[in-house]
Amino acid sequence: MRSSSTAGAAADSAVAPAVEMQGITKGFGRVVACDRVELSVGRGEIHGLLGQNGAGKSTLMKILLGLVMPDAGRILVNGNPTAITDPLIAAKAGIAMVHQHFSLVPALRVWENVTLGERGRVDREQARRLVREVGERYGLEVDPDTKVADLSTGQRQRVEIIKCLRRDPALLILDEPTSMLTLAESRELFTVLRRAVQDEDKTIILISHKLDEIVHATDRVTIMRGGAVVARRETAQTDVRELAREMVGRELSKWTAATAVGTMDALVTPAAASSSSEGEVRLRITDAHANAPDGRPLLRGLSLEVRAGEILGLAGVEGNGQTAVGDLLSSLLELDRGSVEVCGGAVSAGRPGAMHAAGVGVVPEDRHVSGCVLDMSVAENLVLADLGQVSGRGFVSPRRLRAHAERLIGEFDIAVPSPDTPMRLLSGGNQQKVVLARELAAQPKVLVVAQPTRGLDVGAIEYLTERVYRAAENGIAVLLISTELEEILTLAHRVAVIHRGAVIGEMSRADVDVERLGLMMGGQAA
Amino acid sequence: MNRFSTLGLYAASLGGALLIVAGLVTASGYSAWDTLVALYQGSLQGGASIGLTIDEAAPLLLVAVGSIICTQAGIFNIGQEGQLAVGAMTGAAIALYCPGPGPAVLILALLGAAAGGAAWAGIAGLLYYWRRVDVVICSLLLVFVAMQLLSFAVNRSYLLQENAVPGQVMIPESDLLPLNERLPRLGSYPGLNVGTGVFVALALTALVALALRYGRWGFRLRMLGLNPIAARRAGVRAALLGTGAVVLSGAFAGLAGGVMLTGSSYRIQDGFADNVGWEGLLVALMARNRPVLAVPVALFFGALRAGGGFLASTGVPRYLVSIVTALLVLAAVFPVAFQEARRFQRGRATARAAALEGVAS
Repeated sequence: MRSSSTAGAAADSAVAPAVEMQGITKGFGRVVACDRVELSVGRGEIHGLLGQNGAGKSTLMKILLGLVMPDAGRILVNGNPTAITDPLIAAKAGIAMVHQHFSLVPALRVWENVTLGERGRVDREQARRLVREVGERYGLEVDPDTKVADLSTGQRQRVEIIKCLRRDPALLILDEPTSMLTLAESRELFTVLRRAVQDEDKTIILISHKLDEIVHATDRVTIMRGGAVVARRETAQTDVRELAREMVGRELSKWTAATAVGTMDALVTPAAASSSSEGEVRLRITDAHANAPDGRPLLRGLSLEVRAGEILGLAGVEGNGQTAVGDLLSSLLELDRGSVEVCGGAVSAGRPGAMHAAGVGVVPEDRHVSGCVLDMSVAENLVLADLGQVSGRGFVSPRRLRAHAERLIGEFDIAVPSPDTPMRLLSGGNQQKVVLARELAAQPKVLVVAQPTRGLDVGAIEYLTERVYRAAENGIAVLLISTELEEILTLAHRVAVIHRGAVIGEMSRADVDVERLGLMMGGQAA
Repeated sequence: MNRFSTLGLYAASLGGALLIVAGLVTASGYSAWDTLVALYQGSLQGGASIGLTIDEAAPLLLVAVGSIICTQAGIFNIGQEGQLAVGAMTGAAIALYCPGPGPAVLILALLGAAAGGAAWAGIAGLLYYWRRVDVVICSLLLVFVAMQLLSFAVNRSYLLQENAVPGQVMIPESDLLPLNERLPRLGSYPGLNVGTGVFVALALTALVALALRYGRWGFRLRMLGLNPIAARRAGVRAALLGTGAVVLSGAFAGLAGGVMLTGSSYRIQDGFADNVGWEGLLVALMARNRPVLAVPVALFFGALRAGGGFLASTGVPRYLVSIVTALLVLAAVFPVAFQEARRFQRGRATARAAALEGVAS
């Protein structure tokens, strides 16, 4: 079956690309997500699709997968016009996608996850054999009997990829595959991809906004901006700088470029000798122990200190307790043992509003969960915890609420039609600005920013990076929690590494050695 | 366009209900036309009927406003029927046994009714924040306990049952309230006359609408309902505010019972609540949890109750009256439910697309 289809296609493969998208146009209301996009992906290549958030990459791929119908344009698979009106047609045409967010069931075993969505009888032995087979062929070894919950993020992604590959697609699309991986895991992934292309004759589209990845892993690259293709390059004949310029449409300053487009080379030597003078300790967490409601340990003896005017970067691989630190400083987590002190005074962890009252501002990692109330207006979101400022004697003054909102909207340059606009309607970058504006307006002693640039476009990333930097310059103690090493290296004066719920090492920015940092993030105290 | 289709939906729904009503009534051997006329006469024709509609609407409005408070906090108290009964019982006990000048006892009885409802709802609120017992289930089950409690009380002469004249058959109901402990009425029969209960209801509705819209309390309540995690970070104590909302909604239901007791029935008996608790929930649902909108909706439901009562007095059997009013209520609620279901279906369709995508990948 497989060989016949390959043989059949082989005849015209010399001329026809694996996939060709011609004149694809798609609008959502007044927004044009794709504007006469031309994309041609040659057989047996890794093709990079580069662009900022909102450039139209995802829409284009959804059209290819049959999840979104284009308004105009056509798709050719192996030179044959194909109407992909349904995900099942895309699957039949051999197109598969590994999504950015995993769709695995943690409580099930690997082989169970791989067979999920299958019809008919479940053949356990065959499923396990299949996982092993696919794993060996591509170098994606993973034990079929392990529960997904016990796997590391990198291993989970392997399972996700095996799920795709077992159907033997000709074209594999990966959407931001490294967003949750360590450096080493990312490198491994690209080795696997290269192998799939060379040994198994697959074609791969790699969606990314990280330039390093594109440069290291792809053969050709198509760059999108504002819904249109702005450039096509042979990867070997371009460099990071040119790609960045095409992607953003202008030159980026060196230090924001690092965070925004994921290049680390510029960062290995520290920017300025920006070591802060020894301010007083504003935030001190001592030997914090905490468990999740289900008994899973979240923090195991975490200690750290942040001084006034410095930015402490808390680096680590996703899922090592960063969320718990953010929750702790948002009064959402109670401690079993240990203490939190702000400006020398103990703060009772977990008591509603206690951290905020003590002067801890938080830009949380998932702003929709604890950072804002999506169904309230922007003006209301700008005062959530500080109602007192805009009200007197039990009643909120609409006039003062509005004035307060207008002041912050101006000061923080938030793009919003009116203060009464529901928060839900704002773009991610503007929602993040609202959260940051509110937290800074409360004049915090300590500012915690967790994954502040996740899912934002370059403009918003630049903006936030600068704001956080300025906050520290104004004497606020900043704790930057991030899984993006580039982000930490850009901003932090000091770097601490979190692993399995504890800080296992610290170094000043000047002493940072990326390899050593990588090892520590992997759990080796070095 | 959207508003137009909503109106169309209401018209179609009402038309459909009227057709079924006509069919049913005709099949049972009564005149469909006479039935509709009776419904109209009982609710809207003349001052007395209009007054009756307003009297019926007042407790419905109180129940609805209470349930709106609770819903704003993201909690669903659906036990108003029981809270109303317990409230009325408390009010009756105070009115019958508490000595003192009439107006003072009246006010005390109304406050007591509110307190009784609040306490009954408080059980559900407390169990939720103490032991995570679901409020929906708990408040619902407490309705049946309240019914039994009421039945018990009006069947015991040492509790609320009426004082017997020797030889009289004992009925499960209390004595009538003394004249000076009843809510005064404005106007007199057969002209427009209404009990003062409706003014209490309107004043409280306005107060709640204001507090929810502009009050710090309302702000926090909405925050809690829309995003409890963000609310906690901002210093909202969910246990306090949430239980408070449940208790307050119970107080409104209890007060509704007090208003019915002191404003129209003047005595308490088995089955006193008479679905006012349930229908109040429907009022809140139809008003989409907006207190001001609850006023006209409560009037509509009040008209149905008044019209239904009159219809029954024309000789149409009670069960048929119940079916007729139920169908009209259904017609009024249907568009809301229909739109909600469509939204849900659209969500399902999206989910299905996502699932297909999963199969494809």
